[in-house]
Amino acid sequence: MLEIKNLHARVNPEEGEALAILKGVDLKVPAGEVHAIMGPNGCGKSTLSYVLAGHDGYEVTDGALVFEGADIGALAPEERAARGLFLSFQYPVEIPGVPTLTFLKEAANAQRRARGEAEVSAPDFIKLARENAAKLGISSEMLKRPVNVGFSGGEKKRMEIFQALMLAPKFLILDETDSGLDIDALKVVAEGVNALRSPDRGMLVITHYQRLLDYLKPDVVHVMAAGRIVETGGPDLALTLESQGYEKYAGAAA
Amino acid sequence: MTLPVKLSAFEAALAEQLPAGDLRAELEGRGLPHRRVEDWKWSDLRTALARLPAEAGELTLTMSRAPDARRPLMGAPDQIMARLAAALGGQAQVYDLHNGETVTLDASVAAGAGHGAVVVRARDGVHAVVRERYSAAPGAMLNLNVHYAISPRAHLTRIIEQDASPDAVIVVTTTMDLSQRAHAAQTTLGFGAKLARLETNISHGGQGASLEMNGAYLVGEGLHLDQTGIVRHTGPGGTTRELFKGAAAHGGRGVFQGKIHVERAAQKTDAKMNHRGLLLDGRSEIDAKPELEIYADDVVCAHGNALGAMDAAALFYMRQRGLSEPRARALLTRSFLAEPLERLSDEAVREALMARLQTALEGMS
Ligand SMILES: Nc1ncnc2c1ncn2[C@@H]1O[C@H](COP(=O)(O)OP(=O)(O)OP(=O)(O)O)[C@@H](O)[C@H]1O
Ligand SMILES: [Mg+2]
Repeated sequence: MLEIKNLHARVNPEEGEALAILKGVDLKVPAGEVHAIMGPNGCGKSTLSYVLAGHDGYEVTDGALVFEGADIGALAPEERAARGLFLSFQYPVEIPGVPTLTFLKEAANAQRRARGEAEVSAPDFIKLARENAAKLGISSEMLKRPVNVGFSGGEKKRMEIFQALMLAPKFLILDETDSGLDIDALKVVAEGVNALRSPDRGMLVITHYQRLLDYLKPDVVHVMAAGRIVETGGPDLALTLESQGYEKYAGAAA
Repeated sequence: MTLPVKLSAFEAALAEQLPAGDLRAELEGRGLPHRRVEDWKWSDLRTALARLPAEAGELTLTMSRAPDARRPLMGAPDQIMARLAAALGGQAQVYDLHNGETVTLDASVAAGAGHGAVVVRARDGVHAVVRERYSAAPGAMLNLNVHYAISPRAHLTRIIEQDASPDAVIVVTTTMDLSQRAHAAQTTLGFGAKLARLETNISHGGQGASLEMNGAYLVGEGLHLDQTGIVRHTGPGGTTRELFKGAAAHGGRGVFQGKIHVERAAQKTDAKMNHRGLLLDGRSEIDAKPELEIYADDVVCAHGNALGAMDAAALFYMRQRGLSEPRARALLTRSFLAEPLERLSDEAVREALMARLQTALEGMS
């Protein structure tokens, strides 16, 4: 479903030299599977998620991104979103003055228009929002607030998954969705994510902790270090990392 | 003595319409305000007008009701545009506001240079609303002189809409006398012209008088809007709150000059002025000069000014969810500009101005 081939990417900061971050990432996530990516701070996990989503702050210098058989490397972020890519941000952004539901309805309809589908009606959308909010324990007061404004770290993560439920994307990239969530919230959010699991949907879950993976039960676990996937294994690999850390990959930076 | 300037055809035509006297001599000696005049350094009126056809026109004032009187009006000695408007615009239309009424004044010029003058009084205890709207057709100039006299305990709400007027020049010079214990709230929504200048000079009597001055502006390609506001606190215990927010795109230019002057007698003045500008691209420009000039020692005065670009992280976030870039920009710009308009207490007016802003944003992307 998603295939990342020899992906190289760098940032070109306003000051200073270009900095290579992704140095040949190879990864395949077939439909229906959940893959986890683990790796030390700064190894390029969030960068990979941004590059997948089409952030123009990163320059792809080599490699390809193939989604459902099509090269999406040249598409704008909104075009990738319309094809079904959803990124749950490690740091969700506050958007003052734009109410959450207004924003989401507009996003949903923009995606539908781009796909040539009929727009969702306001009553249907509100109904769906109520159902999904109830699943995640989100109050109607929270939905009225501007996008992410004034929410705690954990509330923001919860709202990201609420957005995913509302937009029902084909492919989810969860960038540390578990960080900031308390133990109970993590369970609720994981259940929300699991509700999205289906044979035609794929997920890439970036995390530092086993706890989320206990709930999500990934099919495959990848280790990323210094901008590359350095090891791939089954769910057990996460347990090994938990006990041994990333020390053995330290040489990968070379 | 400096030598008289060489007048443009536009200036010469204006001068010819004036009777011999101080104003004519001043115009012939110095020309119209230009960028080397400090107060006009960012709005080169002289150059903008030199490119307009030098023909006399007519200012059309469409009003919701007939004025109560007409009388000649002057302009302050240092305000040449207001003096020209008074001299060439015929008698001023005088409104004596009735309690509870809303008066609308729609000023426009279809061709040539049109001048006019309006006087509005709110007598003791009167609560009223005045809605003004200015526009000028391509090639035209609108020059209006507006004077407000607000008596003690009167309560004035002034709403100004300045329509985008490409290739036209709009100058509106307002003087307002805000008496002790009076209240005035002015809200402007402006879109600029080839050059538009909305100048407001307020004499603030204090003693419980309060002033609110808010404005939002959006200037696009080929448009320039200058909002200059001078508030002079003359008596003690007055309050002023100003919030201006503006966005410039596609080479548009915004100018904000705000000054709060606190005289020695105006102790316990409480004044705050804030301007924030959003530059939507590298071709656009916003110039701002907020100033406090304080001669009293027991006052609380503050001003703030910030210019910035669109929040790139927010833009990416919105696009990741599926919004097109122009739509995401429009939503962010709208929410940025909404704040001064949200201070309007009348919901219907607020919604109407927000709708105009929305339409303008949609037309821009
Ligand atoms: N815009 C940027 N400018 C400069 N450096 C950047 C930029 N974006 C990323 N980097 C650098 O690239 C490296 C990878 O960052 P990234 O955020 O992808 O790491 P990560 O694996 O997600 O880490 P964490 O586990 O802490 O979230 C880091 O060293 C970071 O400082
Ligand atoms: Mg990260």
